[in-house]
Amino acid sequence: MPFHSRPRRLAQAALTVALVALLAACGQNHPDSIFHRRTDFNRDVDYLFKVLIYAGTAVFIFVEGILVLTLIKFRKRPGQPEPEHVHGNTTLEIAWTVIPLLILILIGIPTVRTIFKTEAVARSDALQVEVVGHQWWWEFRYPQYTTTEASGKVDTVVTANELYLPIGKTVNFTLHSRDVIHSFWIPALGGKRDVVTNHTNYLWMTPDSVGSDEFNGACAEYCGTSHANMRFKAFTVTQADFDSWIAHQEQPAVGSETTGPALSADSTAKVTTATPGVGAPPSAGAVNAQVAQAGFIAFPRDKIPASGVPETPLPAGLTFDDNLLASGNVENGKKLVTTGMCIACHTEHGVTMMQAVVGPNLTHVGSRTTIAGAMYPNDPRHLARWIKFANGMKPGVGMPTFGIGQYDPVTLKGIVTAAGGFTDAQIADIVAYLTSLK
Amino acid sequence: MATAAVSPSYAHAESTANSGIWSWLTTVDHKRIGILYLFTALSWFAVGGTEAVIMRMQLQGPNGRVVSAEVFNQLFTMHGTTMIFLVVMPLSAAFFNFLIPLQIGARDVAFPRLNAFSYWVYLFGSLFMNVSWLFGMAPNGGWFGYAPLTTMAYNPGLNIDFWMLGLQILGVSSLAAAFNFITTIINMRAPGMNLMRMPMFTWMAFIVQFLLVLAFPVITIALVFLQFDRFFGTNFYTMTAGADPLLWQHLFWIFGHPEVYILILPAFGLVSEILPTFSRKPIFGYPVMVYSGILIAFLGFGVWAHHMFAVGMGPIADSVFSMTTMLIAIPTGVKIFNWIFTMWGGNLRFTVAMKFAITLVALFTIGGISGVMHSSPPADLQQTDTYFIVAHFHYVLVAGSLMGLWGGIYYYFPKFTGRLLSEKIGNWHFWLTFIGVNLTFMPMHWSGLYGMPRRIYAYDAGQGWEIFNLMSSIGAYIQALAGILFAYNIFRSRKHGEIAGNDPWEAPSLEWSIPSPPPDYNFEVIPVVTSRYPLWDIKHPELTTEVPHSRHGDERNDVSMGGKHVGAFHDHLAAGTPEAGVNPNAKQASSKVSLKTAEELGIPMPYPTIKPFWVALFMTLMFASLLMIHKDMLHLAVAGVIGFACLMAGFLYAWLTSPLEPAHH
Amino acid sequence: MTTAVASHAHPPTSTGLDHRKIAIWAFIGSECMLFASLISTYLIYKGRSVVGPFPHTACNPPLCAVPLKPILNIPVTSFSTFVLLMSSLAMVLALAAVENRGKPGYEGILGSSKFWLLVTIILGTTFLGCQAYEFTSFVHEGLTIRTNLFGSSFFTLTGFHGAHVTAGVLWLITLLAIDMKRGLEPKDALLVDISALYWHFVDVVWIAIFTLVYLIK
Repeated sequence: MPFHSRPRRLAQAALTVALVALLAACGQNHPDSIFHRRTDFNRDVDYLFKVLIYAGTAVFIFVEGILVLTLIKFRKRPGQPEPEHVHGNTTLEIAWTVIPLLILILIGIPTVRTIFKTEAVARSDALQVEVVGHQWWWEFRYPQYTTTEASGKVDTVVTANELYLPIGKTVNFTLHSRDVIHSFWIPALGGKRDVVTNHTNYLWMTPDSVGSDEFNGACAEYCGTSHANMRFKAFTVTQADFDSWIAHQEQPAVGSETTGPALSADSTAKVTTATPGVGAPPSAGAVNAQVAQAGFIAFPRDKIPASGVPETPLPAGLTFDDNLLASGNVENGKKLVTTGMCIACHTEHGVTMMQAVVGPNLTHVGSRTTIAGAMYPNDPRHLARWIKFANGMKPGVGMPTFGIGQYDPVTLKGIVTAAGGFTDAQIADIVAYLTSLK
Repeated sequence: MATAAVSPSYAHAESTANSGIWSWLTTVDHKRIGILYLFTALSWFAVGGTEAVIMRMQLQGPNGRVVSAEVFNQLFTMHGTTMIFLVVMPLSAAFFNFLIPLQIGARDVAFPRLNAFSYWVYLFGSLFMNVSWLFGMAPNGGWFGYAPLTTMAYNPGLNIDFWMLGLQILGVSSLAAAFNFITTIINMRAPGMNLMRMPMFTWMAFIVQFLLVLAFPVITIALVFLQFDRFFGTNFYTMTAGADPLLWQHLFWIFGHPEVYILILPAFGLVSEILPTFSRKPIFGYPVMVYSGILIAFLGFGVWAHHMFAVGMGPIADSVFSMTTMLIAIPTGVKIFNWIFTMWGGNLRFTVAMKFAITLVALFTIGGISGVMHSSPPADLQQTDTYFIVAHFHYVLVAGSLMGLWGGIYYYFPKFTGRLLSEKIGNWHFWLTFIGVNLTFMPMHWSGLYGMPRRIYAYDAGQGWEIFNLMSSIGAYIQALAGILFAYNIFRSRKHGEIAGNDPWEAPSLEWSIPSPPPDYNFEVIPVVTSRYPLWDIKHPELTTEVPHSRHGDERNDVSMGGKHVGAFHDHLAAGTPEAGVNPNAKQASSKVSLKTAEELGIPMPYPTIKPFWVALFMTLMFASLLMIHKDMLHLAVAGVIGFACLMAGFLYAWLTSPLEPAHH
Repeated sequence: MTTAVASHAHPPTSTGLDHRKIAIWAFIGSECMLFASLISTYLIYKGRSVVGPFPHTACNPPLCAVPLKPILNIPVTSFSTFVLLMSSLAMVLALAAVENRGKPGYEGILGSSKFWLLVTIILGTTFLGCQAYEFTSFVHEGLTIRTNLFGSSFFTLTGFHGAHVTAGVLWLITLLAIDMKRGLEPKDALLVDISALYWHFVDVVWIAIFTLVYLIK
């Protein structure tokens, strides 16, 4: 039939193009590939995956081979006699029942062994990390690292959307949800585990075959409007860097310690390494100097690959005068943050008024690399717009709109000062303060 | 049957005198209801496909901004819900309706008016659910609607209300239809058609009805809980009251996994009809095909938790569900091999229907293999909720179910309408679909393995996902083009297609023994069945001596079919030397011969009636009234429910007290 | 040639049974899954309520503001269970009366389908009355469908069963009405037969509920 050939030729061409494109894709960089064998978990999965893909490929080639052979061999030819009416063949039918069964047994044995291995209780000396899923951000708590304030209040090391893991040490994640079901997933480090409301789940892994590196994490279970924006970063660092980082995290941020009875080193429970300097009023330069003294306090941004820097475009129509950012007043920003609406939702260690746990913990917000569930890089430019109009930057977000004159799609009103709004200049002050919280 | 010589069996029947909108609103004819199902489902396919194309436009490149996050979430929720409940299930129902009575040699289904009711409920339920788009409040909880995201605390809009009430309405339709078909198949088979002589499609349909009957009540209850939670403040999914969100997941997947087989088995059945016909060979291993279908359905109730390997059920539960899931691969694999060996040694005619059927065999294998990969929980932890899963179930549902259904449409369109679909356009449709499907879904395996989660409306560049997403999007556009060609083919062929004749494909089963489209009474004389392949027995008596479950020799010659003695058939069927699968005799059929009407033959036909339409409408409105509770207008809701319930009861009373058909002579 | 099915009227059914009989069995199969889901949910949520009242145990401060007694009233429910069981017996006798109308042994009031249908209806209504009493007394003792997980799952489960009994009673009333109007003949036995199947099913479900909810602590 002449009309057969055109679509068929089209199909051949298309398949060739597709194959070429696939080959081209193979050369690309895949930072979130599940095939990075950097943890014991992923190596186990990798082994299983190989068993499965080899068995699957063999079955695929076998089945499609017979199929294609059948199609070629038995296509209708002129003058062919009526085919014989065969109704079945018991031997054959038993064969293709038993052989798949054997293949499945081959797959089943390592599967069950791996299930029991990966779902066993984590070793007792593991680093404990509590993961709390929120709509739409991650809270990471390190319950083994606490400090006790003079008042007797115990502070745990808490971060948001950034996870620091020491290389070579097993980490045991304890998973909770504050609201709906989420799923905790760092593809390049290990399998996901759902974060289920009213349940406690566990997941452990040992990032051993890995250097100091940055990994992308994500929420894998649909959890509402901004499910796609519930990402996070995992940093694997050396044990020494981790100790330095945790010691720093146990302290209030440098920038916050200008008021009140600042925490001193002896009021903390478990400080093991050098503490950052305290007491000096924070000018940007001074803060940086102190940070430099403190050793490793944050994953260096220049070591983060381009794929790890979020690229979400800013919403159209959201304006902010970036020139104001250079002249932001830290003191004024501090006043606005620690006495304004921020205290309704956020915590900052060392600031008595800020104890709320609705939004991310702000203690060391200046040292984080991203904001808004790893949606934007943490720089003054994005931070300012975030404070001005978070809802425009992240759909459905709980953070209110603060920019004066900004139309708020939640309250359906423009924001005014009386409603707790800030001018761009005030926002610049707040940004200066938050950025100083290293 | 002296009339045998008079009517050429390829007459294009003008059997139903009545036409026009009213006749469609009041019809209780299973064939017309089947056609209504077919075209309604195809319309929803266009809607669900458009939703998919918009999503692919959004994901074509990094950080797409075609639609907002909220709209994207509504799109994927409605895409899934539409394709499952409004497209694949009703398309299967179109074939159930049209074919089951024809294949078993019956004049209608057991309860013709209940059948009409099922269709109207489906239509109104599907409209109700999609009306939500007009309010900008389309369902947004995912087709799986995991609690507590669907509860009032996290989803205060009307979105979820539309979804859960819509599903309840559609559930009524499916259940009513299932009771009807179970009764029809058990009770209305022609004399001699024992269970092991039923055509494969009827067998698979039979199994699906049991799945429907047993699976739908479970989601009904899960949805009742959600309804009570949202409307009356109960605590089934209230986390602060200590509720367990996994309750929903278990109930949903106890329904949801059998649902997968509800979606695929009808397509398996259609393929098991198409392959033997175009191979000119009986199905290989009929009993094994039947038993594997039953086994798939049975095991299908024991594997639901493999959708939940990531929720932390513990190693023992994970192992058990992993093993049962692997087991289900065996009967499925058996089917694949039996199909291939049906073709082996045959005389293969590559019609469009055959190409679609072969494609199901070839591509479903891929979905099956990736399915086995998910059955291993530790590996599944890296695959679940990623695009790898999206690839997997689209290979099962698009490259599986839909290919089977498209093949079924090309195969049965002549029986539906009396005219063949164009093979030329059909070839373009097939190859574009084949390319589009593979180009869309094959790269998704890679996006998933490279870490792309499902249900995200935007992603950053630099993850190595761009090329795969671009390919998927282009594939989706090609599929859309194929869909447009398909629609054109259907509309063109309905009026201008070649006249089909009774049996354009030289097929073996009863539905091909009667005119196309069949007269409203189907069979002038109810046939007597002596084997699995009654028409082939007549055409090739020399080949059929060893057919299991059939009678032999003279017994079979002493049979009438389609109102004619077998001898008449033999002559007609032997006359054709088919080319490209089309019986050239068909073209001679322009000479119109009117078939006798049911009245002339004295066959009692059910009266057309509008009552099922009203009962379905008022039932839907009764459910819709519940939306008012949400709007804090309890009195309106109560008034609506009571008012519509009274109207519904009134028409139901009229329905139950009016006779189905004229009293027997 | 055979014209075995020459008649143009409906051929006999494949099983010899009426369509409606097959359909009601399919329907009952479906209902089994419905109640299985409801009962499983009740059992899953058993003991998970964070506040009282509880079914079998007292709730004392500080868990509950005021002390609450175990809420289930076993004697009343045992009575209503007995009533429902007896209604099944009456239903059997009603069917027998219809099937054997006019035969010896089916004279008088005890052979009357009207009487036994009425008895079934009265017993069914009594059961519903007991349930209404139970529900109102629970509400007075502080247990509503919103109170806790037990309240939600208990009221939904027993409420669904009560709705089924109500539907059954309405069905039987229509049968009684037909019986009063023109009398149910042996040829009408199927009408009574399928309603009896439904009625017995609802009864059996209650046995399961009574055992699992009320008797097992």
